[in-house]
Amino acid sequence: MKNPLLDREIAIIGYAETKIARRSGKTAYELAGDIMDQIAERTGVIPADIDGLATVQTHSEAANPFWAPFLGDHLGLQLSWTQTSGNGGASPAGNVARAAAAIQAGLCEMVLCCNADAANTRQRSDQRSYRTDFVEPVGLQGPPSYFGFIMRRYMEKHDLNFDALGKLAVEQRKGALTNPNICETFNKPITLDDYLTSRMVAAPLRLLDAVMRCDGANGLLITTTERARNMGITKMVHPIAFAELTNFDVHNQTPDVTETGFSVVGPSVFEKAGMTHGDIRMAHLYDDFHIATMMQLEQIGFCDRGGGSDFLLNTDISPTGTLPINTGGGQISSGQPGLAGGGVQLIEAVRQMFGEAHGRQVPDPSTALVSGIGCINYVRNWSVSAGLILERSA
Amino acid sequence: MTDTAKSPRPLPQPWQLTEPFWEAARNGKLMIQYDPVVKKYQFYPRSISIFTGRKNLEWREVSGKGALYSFTDIHVAPPGFEDLAPYMIGVIELDEGVRMMTPLQGVTMDDAVLGMRMKICWQKLSDEITSPAFEPDR
Repeated sequence: MKNPLLDREIAIIGYAETKIARRSGKTAYELAGDIMDQIAERTGVIPADIDGLATVQTHSEAANPFWAPFLGDHLGLQLSWTQTSGNGGASPAGNVARAAAAIQAGLCEMVLCCNADAANTRQRSDQRSYRTDFVEPVGLQGPPSYFGFIMRRYMEKHDLNFDALGKLAVEQRKGALTNPNICETFNKPITLDDYLTSRMVAAPLRLLDAVMRCDGANGLLITTTERARNMGITKMVHPIAFAELTNFDVHNQTPDVTETGFSVVGPSVFEKAGMTHGDIRMAHLYDDFHIATMMQLEQIGFCDRGGGSDFLLNTDISPTGTLPINTGGGQISSGQPGLAGGGVQLIEAVRQMFGEAHGRQVPDPSTALVSGIGCINYVRNWSVSAGLILERSA
Repeated sequence: MTDTAKSPRPLPQPWQLTEPFWEAARNGKLMIQYDPVVKKYQFYPRSISIFTGRKNLEWREVSGKGALYSFTDIHVAPPGFEDLAPYMIGVIELDEGVRMMTPLQGVTMDDAVLGMRMKICWQKLSDEITSPAFEPDR
């Protein structure tokens, strides 16, 4: 399949991230303003230079069907291309590819990818279809309950060593303690024992298996490599391959819920990049739940099916290790800024590649795999799986 | 946020597409959609067959029997369910080849086993709504 990203004509030239907070009292507009302010400060780009806006559907502004024009107007943007992605946690990574495609199609030249959600201050989403009849009345407590089902099936099929998930929890928290943008709730170390004995939420899933919903925003500035060079930009990151799948195995009414879209997306994104998992220097994997990270490691191909526990226990996943994972804390130890949450992984990957991950810098952060997960289908697994490979500019 | 009154338990809100399901449920019957062309059932109710894309679906009564595909014990309950926690929810694989998520009765974390045989029982939630649950088929 043709992959125009391999030409490395597209460059991420700036990143921004707010501090993540519980009940900030802010709106998504104010949080997005913080992103514009940081981008302008770091790149010198002003709103009049930007002609494309890619954003995400939010919980807090979900009631506004004109979100991109409103947001663009708030930020002072005249736009020849907009994109509002409704793929939940897969939207931020997906928007990098969408922005790149729009630039390569000649629709725009300088795109602000801006993900902002005050989800913990204001919840306005209303997910009709089957949920009001067949999910909410059952007493399902949202995604944690679904992942309780999924973990149970995983445990039936494979050996799940909770020490391995606990290692993820502890290592990510270590990284979080060096990250000034984390939610203050997480600003304390945890031990393996803290993980193993944390409060049960939806058995076998525990409190420290799961993300906490917060407010926050993050963003990237993307343009052509040529324009970036003309601007005198030296630090840049190229998106070189992207794959996405929505509603994996949809015609199978009795699927194995431990299989996900990553069984397709993983091989696909490596093929597009002309790489294997061994070429990936660090993994920034969407972590709504630690079991999801383990399943991604297996299905993307870092280890065999069912081998996630051994892989995690036998691999140094710290910033100086062989496969650093979620170095900034991931979402579980940073807080999930609503539907901007997929940007937590994305921004940390770019920050590492810019050499600005102070206190947790990965040596030689030449390549990264960033993943996104969005939504959950009725009694299945997650709806959207997305994989993005980034490469630091030479 | 000074109002400490508890939210009521959310009830199903039947609409045109799901009314046949809930009307049958009021009469103690489990009815789900069936595509006679591919001879397959589908659940939850949709406007078309997911196999052919066509609208020629039938509502058929099914056995109400199946196997426990997965389960979880809810400790942190959503609004309206606080007084019930902890409580069991299961995914049932019906013998007709579709899965449903329902409350579980008569089974606990200690004796639930994946694959165990289950049968439908009904919970009357209001004058209008009777809702499926499953219990061990012993």
